Amino acid sequence: MSAALSRMRHVRGFDVVRPLSITAMIAMMLPLVLLPLASIFIFGTSKGLGSFWAALTAPEAIFALKLSMVTSFWATLFNVLFGLFAAYVLSRYMFWGRTALIVTISLPTAIPTAVAGFALLLLWGPYGVLGRLLAPEGVQLMFTPLAIIIANIFVTFPLAFGVLMSVFDTMNRSLEEASATIGATRWQTFWYVTLPSLRGAIVTGALLTFARAVGEFGSTILVSGNLAFRTQTAPLYIFSKFNEGQVEAANAVAIVLALFSFIIFSILYFARDWLDTE
Amino acid sequence: MRSEEFTGITTDKVGAGAEPRQPQQQERRKKEFAASVRSVSKSFRGTRVLEDIDFDVAEGESLVLLGASGSGKTTILRIIAGLEEPDTGRVILHGKEVTDLPARERGVGVIFQSYALFPRMTVEQNISYGLRIRRHPRREIKEAVDHLISLVRLDEHRGKYPSQLSGGQQQRVAIARTLAYKPQVLLFDEPFGALDAQTRVRLRREINSLLKQVKVPAIFITHDQEEALELGDRIAVLNAGRLEQIGTPDQVYNRPETEYVATFLGAANLLLGVVSRGAVEIGTASIPALEETARLRDGQAVKLVFRPEDVHLSRTGALPPGCRRLTNGVIEEINFVGAYERLTLRLDLVARQPAEGEPPLYNVTLTTPERRTGIPIIVTRPKPEAATTRLGVGDRVAVGLMAFRVLPNFALGSERAGRILDANRH
Repeated sequence: MSAALSRMRHVRGFDVVRPLSITAMIAMMLPLVLLPLASIFIFGTSKGLGSFWAALTAPEAIFALKLSMVTSFWATLFNVLFGLFAAYVLSRYMFWGRTALIVTISLPTAIPTAVAGFALLLLWGPYGVLGRLLAPEGVQLMFTPLAIIIANIFVTFPLAFGVLMSVFDTMNRSLEEASATIGATRWQTFWYVTLPSLRGAIVTGALLTFARAVGEFGSTILVSGNLAFRTQTAPLYIFSKFNEGQVEAANAVAIVLALFSFIIFSILYFARDWLDTE
Repeated sequence: MRSEEFTGITTDKVGAGAEPRQPQQQERRKKEFAASVRSVSKSFRGTRVLEDIDFDVAEGESLVLLGASGSGKTTILRIIAGLEEPDTGRVILHGKEVTDLPARERGVGVIFQSYALFPRMTVEQNISYGLRIRRHPRREIKEAVDHLISLVRLDEHRGKYPSQLSGGQQQRVAIARTLAYKPQVLLFDEPFGALDAQTRVRLRREINSLLKQVKVPAIFITHDQEEALELGDRIAVLNAGRLEQIGTPDQVYNRPETEYVATFLGAANLLLGVVSRGAVEIGTASIPALEETARLRDGQAVKLVFRPEDVHLSRTGALPPGCRRLTNGVIEEINFVGAYERLTLRLDLVARQPAEGEPPLYNVTLTTPERRTGIPIIVTRPKPEAATTRLGVGDRVAVGLMAFRVLPNFALGSERAGRILDANRH
């Protein structure tokens, strides 16, 4: 058998395995990734661009897209700033429980998003551990845009933190030491030396966080209440419209989200050299 | 290039090790020191890396800390710079104790092994960094930067980023960057480690002349003995966290005080012997050493240390004045290694059997067949000598020493050595 195979491999200097394996690989990827994505675009434009545009500019759809962008923006901002702080502290100082903290911070990546949303509900909901204390004050965190931001932060924090932490860990420490011996204060060193080296990591972390937050569904649907014109983000809109049988409406927003992630992915992929440079 | 090249040894150095060291120390104490390290010790996780280190650097002087990797030399540098805290001991810069000051308040300049240039700043921005964070006026900064850039000859590179520069250029930027804020002392951490051999030699000369120009005291760290000899006004040899010897290049090279210093700086031959009436007896041979043994008592076990280039070989038995005869030997091997000739010689000595627990000090297996007995030594001869007196393998020659050191051999109690000597004799 193996003898037959090895004879087959080369036919007069032509490597048979090469085209065969490439074809097999593409055949595998088609139904898995390429066709589903293509079908969004095929379906969305099948009734003409006019109906696509109408579905997209429906006030409800626009609100959902806007809400997704705004909540994701705040979650990203928080995650980058706090991620920077957490990564700095955890990479600079050795203390008891440091590893436990790092594991805890990274834990949400492994938790199903629905569980994350549920956990937040149990904490901040009207009968939750902390929510119960806030309810008499008339403060209701859940089922508001703020809840969406909190859920986004919870789910995406490990992404920003992970990217920043890995850069902190591999950073040439002598740069900071050089800055210190030259006479810079800690803050000057951070501002002039550390931060510029983190430029790529900050952009990468922000893009990853943002892309993930825009598409977040599992936790959002639990904490937001999915109220149209109030707490309905784009993924929730797609889900709701599809359930109501308005496939065109769902599809128009789906196309926008798909394009959006293409763009972010392209930036991350093609600007990699720029992002990586020290 | 090997140590054997340093052959500028004169015979009048012989016996200088016995001369008293007090006058020199007193003279040094009078001077104001730029940097002093006082009985500094340091442990990392229970491992002693520095043990009671003590030295001074005078104004305008350059001191080289020489040691193998793991000798603790980098730790000393980091302690002076304030990047590491000593467990005990003090660091004094220009008479001011700085042991508890953070790095940024010490005013030392560190040139890191990796140069540690700021990658997102141009040459100019790197150099001006120290002045910018001190908020000097813009005009003043520009003047200083212009001056420094021409001092390190980087005029056409001022707008470039570090990644666009060669290793040597990067290092010059690093030096200019520290000189900008007028450091009290410059610390060089293996400054030439990352450079190729030719650049290394050129840069060394450049830095040397630059330092003479700016008159800033400097401490270098290196494991390269050739570098140490060239850069240092004085050399401190470190071994396993201890200071073995500190002195001028001439002192540490020609008058090593320990076996480690002798063998780490250049090549050295080592013979075990015993002091006996103003001479050193090595097995069956004896070499007069009145001055060298003046401070040692009879019967003291010693090590006779001499450099390959200090050996004189003569087929006729006639030795030049000042050269003391050791014994005869047979040439076993001759290698031509560029600048000089290297010979392996087997001395006509019956080796004393090493005592129990004594480390083997010769590169010789005592179980070799009979005709290979005797002790091998390495001899180098400069080209002119090799050309005028040709020697061949198998030639029998008289062996004389132009210079040697006699170091006490603490591995062996002297009485015991004496007994062994007697036993050998009878």
